[in-house]
Amino acid sequence: MKMIFHLALSKLHYHKSRTLLTGIAIMLTTMLLTAIGTSAIAMLDMNRQLAVAQTNYHAAFGLTEPEQLSILSKHINVESLATMENFAQIINGKMNGYLRYYDTVKDGIYFSNLELTEGHFPEKENEICSVPSFFERVGADPIVGGKVTLSFRAGGKGEVQTKEFTISGLLTDVEISADISDSRIAWGAYVSKALLTQYEEAGLYESLPSAYLRVYGEDTLSYDEIEAKIISTATDVGLDEEHVSCNNQYLYTMTAPDTDAISIVVVISLVVILFSALVIYSIYYVGVITDIQEIGKLKALGASRRQIARLFFCQGGIVCAFAIPLGLLIGYFLPWFLFPQVIRILNASALDSTRMDHLKSLRNQLHMFSLPFLLAVIASVLITVWVSLLKPIRMAKKVSPVEAIRYQENTTDCKSRRGHLTVKVSTLTWANLARNKRRTLVTMLTMGLSSVLFICVAAVMNSCRVEDLARRNIQEGEFRISLNYAHNDKEYPENNLDALVQQNYFSEEFLAQLSSIEGVESVTRAPGNILASTDEESAFFEDVQDRLPISYFTREDIPELNEQLVSGEIDYDRMTANNEILCTHKYSFDAYGLALGDVFPLILHDGDREIPLTVTLTAVSQPESYTTLIIMTKDSWDNLGLTYDATTDIYVHVKEANYDDVKKTLQDIVAENEHFELYSLDEEMAIGRSGLSLIKYPIYLILVLIAVIGFMNLINTMITSIITRKKELGILQALGLSNQQLVRMLSAEGMVFTTGTLLISTTLGHLFGYLFFLYAKKMHFMSLTGYHFPIWETVILALVLLGGQSAITLFIRKKVEKESLIERIRGQE
Amino acid sequence: MSENANIILRTDSLCKYYGAGDNLVKAVDCIDLTIKQGEFVSIVGKSGSGKSTLLHMLGALDNPTSGTVWLDGENISSFKENRLSQIRRRKIGFIFQSYNLIPSLNVWENIVLPLGLDNKELDEPFIRDIVRTLGLENKVKNLPNTLSGGQQQRCAIARAIAAKPSIILADEPTGNLDTKTGDEVMALLKTSAKKYGQTLVVITHNEEIAQMADRTVMIADGKVVG
Repeated sequence: MKMIFHLALSKLHYHKSRTLLTGIAIMLTTMLLTAIGTSAIAMLDMNRQLAVAQTNYHAAFGLTEPEQLSILSKHINVESLATMENFAQIINGKMNGYLRYYDTVKDGIYFSNLELTEGHFPEKENEICSVPSFFERVGADPIVGGKVTLSFRAGGKGEVQTKEFTISGLLTDVEISADISDSRIAWGAYVSKALLTQYEEAGLYESLPSAYLRVYGEDTLSYDEIEAKIISTATDVGLDEEHVSCNNQYLYTMTAPDTDAISIVVVISLVVILFSALVIYSIYYVGVITDIQEIGKLKALGASRRQIARLFFCQGGIVCAFAIPLGLLIGYFLPWFLFPQVIRILNASALDSTRMDHLKSLRNQLHMFSLPFLLAVIASVLITVWVSLLKPIRMAKKVSPVEAIRYQENTTDCKSRRGHLTVKVSTLTWANLARNKRRTLVTMLTMGLSSVLFICVAAVMNSCRVEDLARRNIQEGEFRISLNYAHNDKEYPENNLDALVQQNYFSEEFLAQLSSIEGVESVTRAPGNILASTDEESAFFEDVQDRLPISYFTREDIPELNEQLVSGEIDYDRMTANNEILCTHKYSFDAYGLALGDVFPLILHDGDREIPLTVTLTAVSQPESYTTLIIMTKDSWDNLGLTYDATTDIYVHVKEANYDDVKKTLQDIVAENEHFELYSLDEEMAIGRSGLSLIKYPIYLILVLIAVIGFMNLINTMITSIITRKKELGILQALGLSNQQLVRMLSAEGMVFTTGTLLISTTLGHLFGYLFFLYAKKMHFMSLTGYHFPIWETVILALVLLGGQSAITLFIRKKVEKESLIERIRGQE
Repeated sequence: MSENANIILRTDSLCKYYGAGDNLVKAVDCIDLTIKQGEFVSIVGKSGSGKSTLLHMLGALDNPTSGTVWLDGENISSFKENRLSQIRRRKIGFIFQSYNLIPSLNVWENIVLPLGLDNKELDEPFIRDIVRTLGLENKVKNLPNTLSGGQQQRCAIARAIAAKPSIILADEPTGNLDTKTGDEVMALLKTSAKKYGQTLVVITHNEEIAQMADRTVMIADGKVVG
């Protein structure tokens, strides 16, 4: 054994370049696996800590009876309990805000956004607390003891009340990008029990809070068990499941590791292992071929087959002993250093900074180290090396001493070759590729495969366009002015759409006024909306306050509707003739138990006029763009003969140079009308960007990994192709092949690989990329809409392949030329 | 004068040393050698005597430590690598002990390879004649690994002659062959060289082969001894 060890050591020393290459391959594999896993562990831990940092309740119960609260507080399953209720809706321009009341019944529930920085929670009826930015938005000084006057509607209905409050405390502030309009953020301010009681006694408000609770056994129970416990608790107090909302994000994180994340890590790891095994295998394979004479000599000296196998395993083991620890070290410390950077990038693009404040403080406490995981990495790499060694060892075992001496490299089973009358440098190139058909093909396929993977991911990433996300809210132009209407507000009926249309806010004059703004190119109307009600009992209508807006589609929309068709059939003329309608939301269709063929006797509210219309539901489609739940054909719509203009949204197209000025003017115009809401492209893009960046960076990281592995394969192929033919190249030079001809020959060989790889990646890559895109779109991943050909990624791939191949060819040629021609002609490696 | 014009290859104080100090090995030590056009010279010597090193320098495969090699009136020791490869494919034909055929090319392609590398017009009847002379007519499409040792060496001889070089250098051409095949190959080599008017330098330690030559040069310890 000692002899074998020494022999292995001296062989490794002798074949330095091969040892280095194997070492790098094994090191990279270990590094990638460790880095991916460690990042995943850190990510899981961060999610865990974030989940805990935000809130820790298990479920929220929407109570139906006030008594249920006291039963809950005494229930044996309940560990902690708190209540929250929206007491009133704040009326302040376009602000989307609520006055809330929060109360702890049984200690233990935690909400990060309810942490006081100073003062105390409201106790007296005129006390209020919130984040400082809330007070700033409503025009008050954010200081404890300061005064703020607010208008609100208790219970979201009834008369608007105005009241002066004293600020009793300030909550941890939320930094919101200044560009985001008020209407896009939900604000909350907290008031006292005393205020609620006062309104309750006056009969203006009926308290019915939501209960937030934790059940016993978080550490020991599985997700399903906790969920069952929550449901049984709800049943005990007389609530059915629909009133229970589990805090899934928290529960999943605490009870079960993120299975999605784990499966992604496993898939990536398997890909890494597969590619690495291929690379390590081919290095050893080449090693055996070049070593055959030596193996033959060892056998002639009496080495048994077992000893030969042991020699190979020993070589593999020694390389692993150096490469694996190095890979583990780099792989572990890479995320250690990079993770805070990723957090910083996420932080920079996040809208809501409270989440990220937690991240900042987490940086040094993240739990990344897992011994079982690192042991698993070591085991996987060792198994990979072992498997890669099996075939070469089997080949080595078969070598007979006689065969070894006669052995000529790269022999094929072919006996003859048609050949050419004359021989050019290109003949040599093709002859060599044809001789190693299998290796040529395997190399092209493996390199092609990694390129296909690269293009696939790039295609999907390239199709995740911030603009596409923004375009869901602003389909045309740069701005959308939307009419903010109620469906069926009994207290303030003037806010309902049927009342608003009578005001004709989007009159031709108004549109002309907008068009006259400097920089505005055109103003267009979106399809109008009309409210429909039905006398029939329908949960579908009940949930939208008995009135459902309906819009229309044109013949031009049919291709998109057909593309996203879920069921039914779209025949425009038939639908017009029979007053048929289409549902645009599969989820609602399922949730409300609708069926194709359902008939609805509708009353359409055209201002003060009522139009009866019986419609039949005949199709379900899920178009990406913003639209109402129910649409009819444009012709059906025109047949209604509406008295009032039903426009609810207009689009403003502006010149790029005037964007900011137009935005300011539009903001002023919109501010004058409380029913108008302005959507601007830059804000929607900012919102889209923040969503995209969360997914973009990890995916780009994966792309880089794929590229690194592909490159390893390229290096190996080139080295294999040159080193193994060192002698042959020497003979060619002895016969008069000049240096330029040698370079031309090797470059041409590389070009064949590169061209083949590019061909595979551009054809198969884009085909699979498109299929992958369609799949991702179907799964509604990042709300993909249009396919964008990843042209730049393809160009970069081509450049990297060409550049890499030339650089490697040059490097190896220089290395080969260090040996004299004589040495090369005579010798082995 | 006319004697000088007939000289195809000449070396002046040709030396090749390896190592330094106590480890200095004088593989070739001040050899002066003259070979005439059309001559068949055999270089004999024991293993390690420096005969292969001498041949490599004659064939522009290796650079001398000092001294010069004149081939066809040109001092090739001063040439750069590119010019040397041109010299090798135009003026020198090599025959190696281990044949050194290119395994991916068939017999015909191996034979015309030096011509192809030089972008030279192919003199097909001439090549066909060589192929016939060497008895390879039925093997032109075969790959080298399907040939016997003798056939492979005959192919190597054809390759060496094909470019009509000024001189053919053979390094133990029969070393890997049995006696009978070796004799056959050697006879073919000699007749071919004569037929196409080429100079032949053969390294060997086979006495019989040495005796076939017009002249024999004995080498020992890097020096010409007879």
